[in-house]
Parts: sequence; structure tokens; C-alpha cells
Amino acid sequence: MSVATTRRGAQRGRVPLAVIALLAGLALLAALPYLLGTYWQQLGFRALQLFTLAVAWNLLAGYAGQVSLGTGAFVGLGAYAFALLGNATGAPLPLLLLAAGAVAALFAIIVSPGLFRLRGLYFTIGSLALAEALRILMVNLSTFGGASGIVLQASTPPFYALYWLALVVALVAGGIVVALLHSPASLALRAVRDDEDVARQMGVRSFRVKLGAFALAAFLTGVAGGLQALKLGAIEPYGAFGMAWTIDTVAVVIIGGIATRGGPLLGTLLYVALGELLRDLPELHNAIGGLFLLLVIRLAPQGVWGLVTGRWAQRPGLAERADG
Amino acid sequence: MAEAAALRVESLSRRFGGVAAVDGVDLEVHAGEALGVIGPNGAGKSTFINLISGALAPSSGRIVLFGEDITTCSADARTRRGIGRTHQIPRPFARMSVWENLALAARHARGGHDMRSVRANCRSILERTGLADVAARPAGALPLLRRKRLELARALALRPRLLLLDEIGAGLIESETRALIELIQSIRAEVEAVVLIEHVMDVITACCERTAVLASGRLLVVGDTRQVLASPEVAAVYLGTTDAGSGQAEDAAARPGAPATAAAALLEVSGATVNYGGVRALRGVDLKVRAGEVVALLGANGAGKTTLARAISGAVPLAAGSIRFDGSPISGLAAERITARGVGHCMEGRRIFASLSVEENLLLAVPPALRREAAARLEEIYAMFPALPAHRHKSGTALSGGQQQMLAIGRAMMSRPKLVILDEVSLGLAPIAVAQLYESLARIRATGVAMLVVEQNIHRGLQLADRACVLAHGSVRLAGRPEEIRGSRELRELYVGEDAGA
Repeated sequence: MSVATTRRGAQRGRVPLAVIALLAGLALLAALPYLLGTYWQQLGFRALQLFTLAVAWNLLAGYAGQVSLGTGAFVGLGAYAFALLGNATGAPLPLLLLAAGAVAALFAIIVSPGLFRLRGLYFTIGSLALAEALRILMVNLSTFGGASGIVLQASTPPFYALYWLALVVALVAGGIVVALLHSPASLALRAVRDDEDVARQMGVRSFRVKLGAFALAAFLTGVAGGLQALKLGAIEPYGAFGMAWTIDTVAVVIIGGIATRGGPLLGTLLYVALGELLRDLPELHNAIGGLFLLLVIRLAPQGVWGLVTGRWAQRPGLAERADG
Repeated sequence: MAEAAALRVESLSRRFGGVAAVDGVDLEVHAGEALGVIGPNGAGKSTFINLISGALAPSSGRIVLFGEDITTCSADARTRRGIGRTHQIPRPFARMSVWENLALAARHARGGHDMRSVRANCRSILERTGLADVAARPAGALPLLRRKRLELARALALRPRLLLLDEIGAGLIESETRALIELIQSIRAEVEAVVLIEHVMDVITACCERTAVLASGRLLVVGDTRQVLASPEVAAVYLGTTDAGSGQAEDAAARPGAPATAAAALLEVSGATVNYGGVRALRGVDLKVRAGEVVALLGANGAGKTTLARAISGAVPLAAGSIRFDGSPISGLAAERITARGVGHCMEGRRIFASLSVEENLLLAVPPALRREAAARLEEIYAMFPALPAHRHKSGTALSGGQQQMLAIGRAMMSRPKLVILDEVSLGLAPIAVAQLYESLARIRATGVAMLVVEQNIHRGLQLADRACVLAHGSVRLAGRPEEIRGSRELRELYVGEDAGA
């Protein structure tokens, strides 16, 4: 108790400084297109998109304990929904992005009764199988362009516009998830993660909790997919539904720190920076990236964020004898 | 409706495969009462609670809570209707803090939407259950008895109407048991009914007007607690008959090779000091165990008994001091090397592999050097524990609690140790199972294996031992022959006194 209160008290004292830093950071992010060229704007777009995906996956896997390998499926659904609806209706961009998220969330809700019958590792495998099945379906289904995909009729916006759009999406995604984790729902999420049966004994409607997290994560992932369609101007199933989305997202969160608030942000920065450093060594890129991931898992199971905050949090007197 | 039952179950059954764990039980819990439920290990007591709380679906029968049929309700729906429970093996939300564990429960309780009352509720429960000092710690980092407390605290935070308590008294010493009884008495004013599964008879007699006895899934008898406990039928299936009288006789008789005091020490612990993250758990402990000798290690919870056991088998490092075994130093060696030197350790909490059969659990523990004799060794273990061979192909956790404990000890004996450390082997066992277990321990003693017995049950520990050693606050307070220790005032003070719970 005393620890919790003093920590909260300390935070209260630091609030003005934190707010100033946050506002300054946001202003800098928003002003980036005026300060840096298109290369950096593209890089920023990729980082913000990856951050959105990481935030969504961290919520689902880190806090709700549903380790999904289906990120690619929801990116693909969002991208296809964006392209098809955009071509059919010509609706404004924000509306199309929301629709992309909604289609992905709807799909999550439809498959959840079946998928949630699987627990733990079986859920993980189930989500992977679902994503692969969906990709193969989209390759073979000629209704949506088959293997050659769809070309967007609307023209691709300039880089700075894409960047700003991605910035708004990332901020909204981060904001929603942070707000959720500060709400009482956070307890129910983590209780389901730690022991679903006991959570139900505590009165938690575990199916609803899991569904909520799954649908929200799918929504955010779908919006990120919509951004991808907008950026490329043309989509095809191999890329949109590809495993690369899942691998990148999982790597970002693991490196940054799963089930930590700052993990997705830190992970995105490190992962994108690593990718840039190794850009000229394509043959070593994957090997070094993989080695880095292994080192993090071995040396910092709570990710780099956990490593940093863990050092601060370590103080004497908290440990108690483990004697029976 | 004035005399409506809090809970009524009608011909409730639950089958696992062909086995009926609960078999046609009819039982009523009156409003305002605390009903005790006792029975041998494997009688179906925990299954009974799982059926009522909704963790398991019944195969047949009906469950009526405060006049409402809840047979088909989900677990969370039952909680909303007023059921709160604890788990026999604690299941905290390990990565959440103690406070968060309670807050989650309190928020799902009646009136849980008011954050201020939730906080006040949690705070008062933490105080009452003695968990206030660990509120900010992750629940997974708590030691076993604290976890059991958390189970109770979490169930209370639900503000239940019917409270189901599953063996919350196991492993407590006398003063702690008295505090628990007081706690249960105070809880009774707040809930409408309590069902109390317990092996600690003091708790049952102090708290429960009526007691039900389950045996092999059936309701054997239910009625006034005193009458039930006095009935010969209950004594036969549950309490056992070998408790005091015959034990005394065996005490004097069956000791063929009582080791001479001059024998060289097999185990020699000197000045052992262990720190757990800033806390000194052991402070310069000296202990000797001679070949073939049985030493009982007694003391209150938190006195350092388990830490000493773990230090000897190499599971925790020494900060100072040394441990010699069979003439050479073993402190600092890896645990498996210490095992190879001849120290067997039966750890607290059994740790049976559920996916392996009884026989596989045993064979797993055969060291490479003894591979050839594995079959012979197996037969020797089965001879020590005659209850095991009939179940050799069953899953290790399909056994009753007492048999699982025998399996755990048998596994520690497979490596043919010269010294075996037994940590709290009678914890959570029905009296009759404890009696059978100690008969097996006497057989092991007769084979000449030295034993270090960590035991909460003073009577049992002293009956088996050649010498006893009492720890308090990490150091040796008292050591001597059982008859000296048994009558000593210090022992009474340590176990009953005010100081003991610290």
C-alpha cells in the first residue's frame, strides 16, 4: 500500500513536466513533414503503422493473454475492405479507414465463438491457421481480384498526408489502449490472462472480455491495413495477408516488452532503427534481426522497456522470504 | 420462506470416465450455519465445491441456491448470485498485485460500481487477513501460506452470501489456527452461510454446528459435529484408529538399529546462513544427522525449516557456513550432484508429473548409475508403499492425496539415498492418510536410511524421530531427544505463544 501511494504521489508531482514533454513531442511529430524530406516521412509512416499494429497486439496478447498469430489476416481484411469500399462508393478517407477497421472487427466477432474454444497454445495455432486459410482463399477467390489483387481508383495522396493520417491513427490507437489499461477493465483483462477459470469464479464474463479485446485489436489492425492499401494504391493477397505483418508486429512487442505500457513505442523505435541500420546488408538483415530478438528474449524477458523500468523499480525491502 | 435453505443439492453426481467422484449427494446448508465437510483424501470434497461454484458441470442432479435453481448457470453467473470460494491449491492471478487481485473481486461483487467502497472494502480485508504489508507485491511471488490467505481475502472481497472454504487451515501452527478460527467466526456475521472443507479438526469443532462426512463420493452422514466426530463409522473411514495408542507401542518396539550416539555424522551443517533478498532466513544454523538417524525439524511457519531443507539439497545458496555430507563438503554443488552423493529431497507440495504414470514418475528419478537395477528398485519402493503398485499405470495425479504423497516420497527414494529430506509430507492429508503415511515412513526408517523430517504435526514428527531440532526465526532454539522436547515449556511457547506467528 505505502509503495503504491508514494509512487502515485511522486507521479502527481511530475505531471506538469510530463505534460510539457508530451505536448512538445507531439508538436515535433506533427511538424516532421516541414522539417524532413519524403524519405523520413515514409519512414515515419512505416513506424506509425507498425506502432498501431504493436499496440493492438500488445493489448490482445500481452494484457488479455490471447497470443494471436493472425495479425496478417486483419491487415489484409482492412486493406481489402478499404479498397473495395473506396472503389465502390468513393467515400471520404476517414470513413473508409473506419470501415476497414469495422470489417476486421466484424470478422473477429464472427470467428470468436469457434476460436475461443481453443485456449493457450491452441488459440495461437488456431489464429495462425485462420490467417493462412484466409490468405489462400483470397488468392483463389476471383471475386476480389484473385492473385492479382485490386487497383484503387482514387489517387494516392502525397507522403506528408499519409504521414499525418498515420500519426492520427497511431495517436488514437495508443490513446484508446492507454485509457483502457487505466480503466477497471484492465483488471478483468489481466485476470483472464492469468487464470481464466478463476476469473470466472470472480464473476468476470471471460468470453465478453476476450471478445472485446479481440475485436478492438482487430479494429485497430484493420485500420492499419486500410492505411497500407491507401499508401500502395494497389493491393494483392500475398502482401496484404502476408506473414510478414505478424512477424514484424510480434518482434516489435517482444523487443519493446510484452505487457508493458511503453513496450510498443520503444520496440517500434528500436525495430525501425535496426531495419534502417541494416538496410545496406540485405543478406544479414534477417540474421542480425533474429539474433537481436533472441538476445532480448534470453536477457530481458520483459523486453527493453522492462529492462529499463525494472532497474528503476528495484529497491531493497520489497523481497520477502520464500520460506513455507 | 423463513427457513429457506441457503443451499440445497439434490442427488448431485459427477463422473470422471467411469469413476463417480461425487455420487448422488443430497445435502442442505441452512441459512445462518457453518457446515463442515470432512472425509478422506479423494472422497470428492473438492469436486463437491467445484460443482457448487460452477467450475465443473454436474453429470446429474440439481443445485438450488437461496431458492433459485442454478444447476445450469455459468461460474460467473453463480458468483453474481452470491457464491464465493477459495481453491485448495491457491490460484492467484500471479502477475497482478495482491491489491489488484482483491480489487478485481471487489469490483465484481454486489455494490462494486462504487470505487470508494471497493477501496475501503479491499483495505479492510487486507488488514483482517494480514496481507496489508504485501499489497503491492505480485501475487505470484507470495509463499504458499500467504497465497492461501489471498484465496480467502479474494473470496471475501466478493461479498458472498454463501462462502465455500477449501482447506484454508492446512499447514498452520496452533496460534495461527486460533487466529483463523477467530477470523472465520467474524466472517460468519457477514455471510449467510459457510461451507468449510477442512482436515484440521480444531477448526471444524470450533466453527461448525453441523458436519457432513463424504466417503468415496457419497454422503456418509451429516449431523451435529460432536456426534458425527464421535461416531465409530467416521473414525473408521476418516480419523483412523492408529493415532495415539498403538503409536506409542511402536515407538519403543520397532527400532532395531537405533544409531549409537558415537556414530560419525552423515550430514553436518555448521553456521548455515541464507539470505532471501535482504531478509535473513537462516542465521548460523548447526545441525547433525548421523547415519540411519531420524531428525525431526520443527518450528513455526517462517522459522526457516524449508529454507534449511532447500539449502541442504542445493536449491538455495548459503551466504555463510558450510554443509558436509558423508565426509566431504557439498555446499556450492549443483542440486543434481548433491542428489548423486546420496541426498534425496521430497519437496513441499508433492510436485507429481500429471502427464506421467505412477511408474514413470518413479523411473524418472533413477540416476544413470542405477539404471540396471531400476526394476528391483521399483519393487523395493512398492514394498515400502503397498498402496502404490495397484495404481502403477494410472496418471500420477489421479491418486488420492495420501497416495500422491507416498509417490513423491517414493520418487525421492529411487536414487537410493543415504539421507532423505521430507518436507511437510502430511500437509493437507486426512488423519487416516497421515497414519498410513507414517507407517510407511517407519518402514523406510527400518531400512537404515537417515531422515530429516520437516513437520508441522509435532506429535507425528516426535514419534518418528530419534532427535528433534526446533527452529525459530532462522536459528536453532531447541535440540534434543523427543521426550525432552515433547515436555519442554519452550516448545509450548513457540507453538502456542504470542511470539510464534511472527
